Amino acid sequence: MLRVLAAIIQSQCLVVFKELDPILHSQLRLAVISLLISVKEADFTFIKEKTNATAGNLSVQVNKLKEAGYIDVTKQFRDNYPLTVCKITPAGIIAFDQYVKNLQTYFRQ
Amino acid sequence: MQEENISRQQSLAIIESMINKAKNQFSENGFAYLLWGWVILFCSVSQYVLQYVMHQPKHYLVWMLTWVAAIVQVIDATKRKKRKAVKTYTDEIIGYVWMTFVVMLLLCGILVGKVLEPGQFYVANIIILVLYGMPTLLSGVILKFRPLVTGGICCWILAVLASFVAPQFIILLIAAAVVAAWIIPGYLLRSRYRRENLAIQPQ
Repeated sequence: MLRVLAAIIQSQCLVVFKELDPILHSQLRLAVISLLISVKEADFTFIKEKTNATAGNLSVQVNKLKEAGYIDVTKQFRDNYPLTVCKITPAGIIAFDQYVKNLQTYFRQ
Repeated sequence: MQEENISRQQSLAIIESMINKAKNQFSENGFAYLLWGWVILFCSVSQYVLQYVMHQPKHYLVWMLTWVAAIVQVIDATKRKKRKAVKTYTDEIIGYVWMTFVVMLLLCGILVGKVLEPGQFYVANIIILVLYGMPTLLSGVILKFRPLVTGGICCWILAVLASFVAPQFIILLIAAAVVAAWIIPGYLLRSRYRRENLAIQPQ
């Protein structure tokens, strides 16, 4: 009986877990998207400073968000130095909105 | 931050923390308010002295100083744009508000200059007082900075007052308006900028 109950709870948890976008359900990627939703655009160093992430890890996560179509990444030059500018896309805004809605649903339960 | 599984409580905490960090990105250092405040104060008081105390015929030439101020501001804005690591929606909206103000000021200057007779140019100063109130108040509302809101309202009160005083004193009301709307809020903005940017240094 207990095993059945545990299985039901587990399956319910998995259903709720599946609702959260796996691309966004990661500490650093969620931090990046939450930062970009609040500003028009931000450069890589700004995001690195605010998230306290290492350049390598941030670079990997930014690429994952870019591949998912959630952010636009533009490489520019400023005073002969390379500059990476990130901006959230409409798809990123929708995904973030859905993620927050799913979180709200979870907390209401 | 590491790549790892997070709980929903942690997700919520991350979202809240990042939004707050972005919200505290206060980029208005008050430079433009102080620059234009002091330039307009100097020009208006000087014009009053040159025109009504020293009776100089070319008293209006003192306003050429505004061209120097415009050049200084363009240089400062270009430098700040280069240094800026983030563009916020607040900066963008405030930029449009001030651009609208400059266009309205130029259009009013041209149209009023065409319509008014030489003895009626003081009316232009009342219109300027009305116009000063709009971007000042809106910037205050957007930045949630009460001294600018108060400054904007002061401009409109002074515009109403201008209709009751002798035409030669209206230029001094402009001087009073820039002290209330730009110089005092400019210094307060500068101190808020220094305080908030010091408080959000990277940990």
